[in-house]
Amino acid sequence: MRGNFGRILLVELRGDRVAVEHVPLPEAVYQAFVGGVGLGAYLLWRFAPAGVDPLAPEAPLVYAFSPLLGTPLTTTAKFAVLCKSPLTGRISDGLSSSRFALAAKRLGVDAIVVRGALDRLSWLHLDEDPAACRAEPCPAWAGLSAHELSDMATKQGLFRHVSAIGPAGERQVRYATISNDGRHAGRGGAGAVLGAKRVKAISVRGAAVAGVADAASVQARARDLAARSAGAATEKYRALGTAANLETFDRLRILPRRNFQTVSIGQAAARRLAPEGLARAAEHVRDSCAGCTIGCDHRYGGTRIEYETQFALGPLIDVDDPARLIAAAGACDALGLDTISAGGTLAFAMECAERGLVDWPLRFGDDVLPWLGAIARREGAGDLLAEGTRRLAAVIGQGSERFACHVKGLELPGYEPRAMQTFALGLCVASRGADHNRSGAYQADLQVGVDRYRADVARAPARVIESEDNAALLDSLILCKFLRGAIREPWREGAELLTMVTGLSRGEDDLRRSARRIAAVRHAFNVREGWTLAEDRLPDRFHDEALEDGASLSRADVVAMVDAYHAARGHVPQGGPSERLRRELELDAWLTDAPPLQGPASLG
Amino acid sequence: MVTVELYGVPRLRAGASRVEVPAGTLASILHALASALPGLVPDIVHDGRLTEHALVAIDGREMIADPELPIADGSVLVLLSAAAGG
Repeated sequence: MRGNFGRILLVELRGDRVAVEHVPLPEAVYQAFVGGVGLGAYLLWRFAPAGVDPLAPEAPLVYAFSPLLGTPLTTTAKFAVLCKSPLTGRISDGLSSSRFALAAKRLGVDAIVVRGALDRLSWLHLDEDPAACRAEPCPAWAGLSAHELSDMATKQGLFRHVSAIGPAGERQVRYATISNDGRHAGRGGAGAVLGAKRVKAISVRGAAVAGVADAASVQARARDLAARSAGAATEKYRALGTAANLETFDRLRILPRRNFQTVSIGQAAARRLAPEGLARAAEHVRDSCAGCTIGCDHRYGGTRIEYETQFALGPLIDVDDPARLIAAAGACDALGLDTISAGGTLAFAMECAERGLVDWPLRFGDDVLPWLGAIARREGAGDLLAEGTRRLAAVIGQGSERFACHVKGLELPGYEPRAMQTFALGLCVASRGADHNRSGAYQADLQVGVDRYRADVARAPARVIESEDNAALLDSLILCKFLRGAIREPWREGAELLTMVTGLSRGEDDLRRSARRIAAVRHAFNVREGWTLAEDRLPDRFHDEALEDGASLSRADVVAMVDAYHAARGHVPQGGPSERLRRELELDAWLTDAPPLQGPASLG
Repeated sequence: MVTVELYGVPRLRAGASRVEVPAGTLASILHALASALPGLVPDIVHDGRLTEHALVAIDGREMIADPELPIADGSVLVLLSAAAGG
């Protein structure tokens, strides 16, 4: 098998010591889970003790690479980070991109599993040579942003490629990110997990190459895919960035404003926050991840602005000043905060304050910079906001839970579910909570023939499942989702790419089974960690309050769609796979209760 | 007349955010649009049809594609990029 190394690096931390071991993985694991989020989900299942506290030393943090990583195929310089989320208590899988991904795979492993904790804030160096792996205390780095740390360390010649946390991760803010190359594994609080292990940064050094089975075919496909990636299908990302969504979504009345109270900020405000408005407020530069031929990375005054950030730090908190939005996004980057959860939690707190449920000096439209700093440093009320919307609502009480906009504890992305009712189902059932990346069902709502204001119990489940399975494929290969329009037959092309890279023959049906298996393992992980059907729901606001244009979402319809989804997935009512699904996907071989794969014995 | 509002790449290609064209079928409107705004051809509008790279919503609500669909006088069509993801 090429494209993979057939082994992972197990890293055990204790006190001031680091022990590492290469653990072989059978070829069947790669056939079953592909790589990326699929491989990571399997490893998380195997290495996380059932019921583990996400911030406890024994909770694993998984960096998972992919077979396409390191090839000349465009947009493949990506990796996945998985953990049990400290925000949701459920599975969390984030993707990040660029040079760290390429460097980390050259350790000669397909994943890194970090367990245990150090006793002081340290820099963890991982090397292709296990004897060179070490942890070095770095108290002077406390409070630095990932960017500052990376710059400083590069200038000092310490390391070139680093994955790091900012101040929010150090203080275990439940939606802290892990950052590299100005990108983030953002959702679900993986940065808090690394912070709990007292690891400020992970640097990597290696020269291993997994190779490809059919180099000529890979080169030819890389040229073809690069050409397709430069076409009309990706022009929006290239020319405007996802920030172009905001004005469109405002017009379609699906742009959430003021903690999901309304769906429009008006044409003038939308234009101020659109790419042209952002460019008037700050210098605009376009960039791209390493090895990417799309180049969706639009920076304003040096800060990357994409739609979700623009929504969460703009309309959601009722800010329509582009300079203020850019400043808040830059602060989240520096502090290591997930912008969606930061904006969502602030929006909820603003509504609570305006309703008189708390006496904080915080109102919609306020400058949130001081609050972001307080959250990241857990100062004053910021300490409560650092816990995220769900926990904040539990503390505030007084009925605030009904407008606490989260699913499973994860704050909602920028699509109004009352006006996108297929996506409403996607939000309810997504394994990591309110999610727009592992389920892109908003796309179904914007297709011809779909009435997005109607909960289609008969058709919505299949649309959501197809969206989830497509995402599982792309996130496991790993290919950027912005290639979607350039890849007309993702299953066929995915199978061809895997075959030419690994040398293992893959087919479309076989890959579809892998995607379904990945979904099944994620769901099984959540069931093991306490999932119940009751958490596949939206907050009361979305059922009890109609939008000003009359759009409403029936609670009974959502319950019916969720039930139909689980039946279509092959889940039993209490959660987990049916006997038929177990047989069909050979899940018993994977969802075993056997002890975790053995780890290094050197720490005793 | 029918008002066509343009967003995203269609606006970028057309160099306009709004145009008025005579009412008629969707196909006739797209032909008129292509004549008025040639930058939309061929990636957004081609032979009186929308390409896969664009969507059109009537009054900002329902996505439509049937070329024979009559569009009433006074309607507003919203022309947007098909790539919705964020």
